[in-house]
Amino acid sequence: MAIEIPCSWCGPRPFTEFSFGGEWRELEAPDPEADFARVYLPENPEGWQRERWFHAMGCRTWTTVTRDTRTNAIEGS
Amino acid sequence: MAELRVEHPSVVMVLGSRDACDSFEVPDGTTPMRIAPRELMLVDAPGVAEVRVPTGSAPWVENVSDAWVALVLEGVDALAAFARLSELELPVEGWIQGEVVRAAAKVLVAGDRVTILVPAMLATHVEDRIRTDAAEVLGS
Amino acid sequence: MGSIEFEGRPVSFEQGDTIASALYRVGVRTFSRSLKYHRRRGLYCGTGDCPNCLMTVDERPAVHTCTAPCVEGMRIERPGGFPNAERDLLHVTDSLHRVMPVGFYYKTFVRPRFAWPIAERVIRRATGLGALPPTTAATRQVVRHEHVGTLVVGAGIAGLDAARDAGAWGSVLVCDEGRICHAIAPGTTADRLAELATEVRSLENVAVLEGFTALGIYEGLHVPLAGDGELVHVHPSRVIVATGAVEEHGVFPGNDLPGVMLGRGAAGLAGIHGVRPGERAAVVVRTDEGIDHLRALTGAGVEIVAVAVSTALAARLPSDGVGEIVVDGDVLEARGGSSLRSVTLRRDGRGKRFDCDLLVLSLGLSPRDGLARMALPGEPVTLVGDAAGETRHDGRCGHDGTVCLCEDVSMHDLEQAWDEGFRNAEILKRYTTTTMGPCQGAMCGRALACFAASHADGRSHPPEGPDPPRTTARPPTRPVTLESLAAGVHEIVDKRTSLHELHVAAGAQLDRSGGWLRPFSYGDWRGEYRAVRERVSVMDVGTLGKFSIAGPGADELVDRLFPCRTDDLEPGRTRYVLTLDEAGYVMDDGLLGRVGEGEWYLTSTSGGAGRTDARLRNLADRLELDAHVLDRTAQWGAINVAGPYARDLLERLTDDPIGAEAVPSRGFADVTVAGVPCRAVRTGFVGELAFELHHPRRRGPGLWRELVDAGREWDLRPHGLDALELLRLEKGHVYLGQDTMPDDTPVKLRMSWAVDMSKQWFLGKQALERMSTLPPSRRQVGLEFSGGPADTAALRGEPLIVRGTVVGRITSAERSIALDRAIGLGWVRTVDGGFPERLETGSGATARVVPTPFYDPEGGRMRG
Repeated sequence: MAIEIPCSWCGPRPFTEFSFGGEWRELEAPDPEADFARVYLPENPEGWQRERWFHAMGCRTWTTVTRDTRTNAIEGS
Repeated sequence: MAELRVEHPSVVMVLGSRDACDSFEVPDGTTPMRIAPRELMLVDAPGVAEVRVPTGSAPWVENVSDAWVALVLEGVDALAAFARLSELELPVEGWIQGEVVRAAAKVLVAGDRVTILVPAMLATHVEDRIRTDAAEVLGS
Repeated sequence: MGSIEFEGRPVSFEQGDTIASALYRVGVRTFSRSLKYHRRRGLYCGTGDCPNCLMTVDERPAVHTCTAPCVEGMRIERPGGFPNAERDLLHVTDSLHRVMPVGFYYKTFVRPRFAWPIAERVIRRATGLGALPPTTAATRQVVRHEHVGTLVVGAGIAGLDAARDAGAWGSVLVCDEGRICHAIAPGTTADRLAELATEVRSLENVAVLEGFTALGIYEGLHVPLAGDGELVHVHPSRVIVATGAVEEHGVFPGNDLPGVMLGRGAAGLAGIHGVRPGERAAVVVRTDEGIDHLRALTGAGVEIVAVAVSTALAARLPSDGVGEIVVDGDVLEARGGSSLRSVTLRRDGRGKRFDCDLLVLSLGLSPRDGLARMALPGEPVTLVGDAAGETRHDGRCGHDGTVCLCEDVSMHDLEQAWDEGFRNAEILKRYTTTTMGPCQGAMCGRALACFAASHADGRSHPPEGPDPPRTTARPPTRPVTLESLAAGVHEIVDKRTSLHELHVAAGAQLDRSGGWLRPFSYGDWRGEYRAVRERVSVMDVGTLGKFSIAGPGADELVDRLFPCRTDDLEPGRTRYVLTLDEAGYVMDDGLLGRVGEGEWYLTSTSGGAGRTDARLRNLADRLELDAHVLDRTAQWGAINVAGPYARDLLERLTDDPIGAEAVPSRGFADVTVAGVPCRAVRTGFVGELAFELHHPRRRGPGLWRELVDAGREWDLRPHGLDALELLRLEKGHVYLGQDTMPDDTPVKLRMSWAVDMSKQWFLGKQALERMSTLPPSRRQVGLEFSGGPADTAALRGEPLIVRGTVVGRITSAERSIALDRAIGLGWVRTVDGGFPERLETGSGATARVVPTPFYDPEGGRMRG
């Protein structure tokens, strides 16, 4: 029920069918200090956020979306 | 009214590139479900090769019938029964995958028959919940 | 025609009666007592909006008797009041209003400390809307989902009009809280409504649901409708809100006396139910409808002694039979004891008192738009009809009186709160609880918003013009039962292996673990433990996560996911692997085996299977690797055959070689056992010679039976999770989640051997490098206890203490049968730069840090 996430394979589905993969994070950082920030200090913006969602109840593929954390609007939909 | 049956159809998984899945020759009498960009699930597919070919671009084909159990709702009220189990909006004919009573299910619709395929370890749970939640609509 | 029971007395009712009209007809005037001050409350709005008529019906509290139809045999009670609502001794609290001002419970009884719990209990007993029946079980709710093009909420004229037109856009669902036409007096409106209803019902793609309340509008769109024993989750493409308007609440001293009614309430009693609401009435008419209300009263034989009418409507009053006409007048105050006795009307600063027992107020219409205000901007939700109206203030404002009927908040209370510094509508709402009762601001929301807006400007009343915005509207729109909220929620999902029935037949004690229903023991866990250590046993481990990974990118995928070396693993060999996350924390563990070129087999913990699958797919996606993951968790079961005679047992059932060369200690092989194709994986979890037989799920029961049968030769007994707890503990093996913390790294778990830092890259490597420069802080350790309780397991969870300071915790504890010692696992922090070796437990036992494994430290028994 409620907010829909546009799965890249199945199309818009209720967010309850997904596992939330968190804010987009690079796989590595240039140095230890940057790595600390990469792991522990996400942007956590009040506004557009790039993030990962896993369609656990459906196709089990990962999708990257950009969502406005204030309104739950998804970019492009 | 609608009837509930438990069935064990033949299920085959095809894992390969997008192209390989696009061009896979689906045997007659089989319902193909492209459940992911590189995964094709074939239901009731007797005779599809059981040999695995995991390397290269040729698809990896495996009989995974043990992994799935089908709960079949059939009858005039099959759709009404399903509406008590899931918020998924079913196509008039075809298939969809999503959540049905907390299980990750594949649902096939053909006429007044709704087939709910669930992972085998959840079959008992799903059957119990169907009988409880759709009790008013199920015949004995 | 029939009879209902009211506080033990039978009361007859007529066709079409609501509970309130039937009770009013037999003379009931006090319908409830107010929440805090136990003031008498009579019928007021008549439309199911205010709290005055709420009573307990058939043990269900908070039922609006003014809209609930009478049903034969209903049992009705007024809650509250001591000893009852009619003679309520607690009414004395009203005179104590001064010492119990708004928010008094935040300020009094703080000291002495002991006073508050006592005071709280007394206050709770003295207030409330009724008791919940303690023994009545929840009734089952039918839950269903509906997908429609348009949902119309409210089946009045505007709603039905909209429903008829919306048919062109797709399917339509119309819902209404009550039955269509239920609250409209016979006349042209009722006729038109009936006509519309017939037309709408005849349309093919329009469905009508009567008796369903829309609880709220949630994102999506999603609108749950709660009816009697049924909950319908509607998923509409758009919503039309046609919920009409509430009559405006009059605020002046004495406004909550029984005998003061809103126009629709009084006219409904008179016109629909044929009940005279009073003998002598003063009436305020400021709406067109008000003229009709006046007529309904005179038609029922009520004597009108005075009418205060707005200038615009004065000309439309009947010429006689309406007593004294006060043009542009309003109510100064109402007076009475247990009910209304007189009303003072005023105009131009001059007042005149009229003796009467009924005051009818038709002051204006307030859109009932709370539901629509829950929608987010941009969502396709529209208001139509009276619900879309705009209210404007005419510059008048009450100077005292009850503002919030539900929560017993007076204008004086608002003034006091303002003086204390609560100076906007949202804060005033929270401090005084205005609008937070059953009406959710339907009656008082406007008054609160106007009060805050006017005071903010330094005025005593708002200027003429559009009303200021209301406080935030939130679901539910009406009180909702927990039954409805819980309906259709299935949180407990029990997964089962194919051996489930066999466990039940064997008398196993089953319980939930990691999302599965598993056998904890078959009646004697210590006997089962001995079977494993001394002879041979079997355990159902079908719950394990199992994955086949294959493809051109499979080698790279496993190498990058796991922190150990994988490129040197030969076909048929396994390695223990940890799964780390981005921060280097241990998330899961399992065995990784190479099957062949570009093909792998991975096992994970039972509870972590879903996350492992997700993690594999994520990394393959992020690194753009051509690798496939096939989840075998459902497809294959697994039985662990463990004990010194495990191989002997298997030799009885297979022709395939299963000696140390064919199935080496850190390896696996595909063999046929009792005719069932299996992947036999050597494991060391319990510390004995063991073969996990991974097999096709449906062949499981046959395989288990054959093993148990053939195992009689060695007195085989199956074992469950209780025995496993001690077996693995004696080997010092951690249970993820029980013995590990969410931020445990391989170093903290003394598992650096499972990590190869010379690998170029693996998930979490950078984090481990970064943390390797930090001083050690916490470590997982093996423990031995002395001076502890007879039941060593009781030590689990106890703190570990050094010189009076807690520095750790015991996470596992049990008396070792093999070693006859009290052992356990736990974690400790550093003390003075080093890890302590001797500690005290919370209950006074002594704990010594010792190396693990405790049992067979060389590992010879499992490597056979």
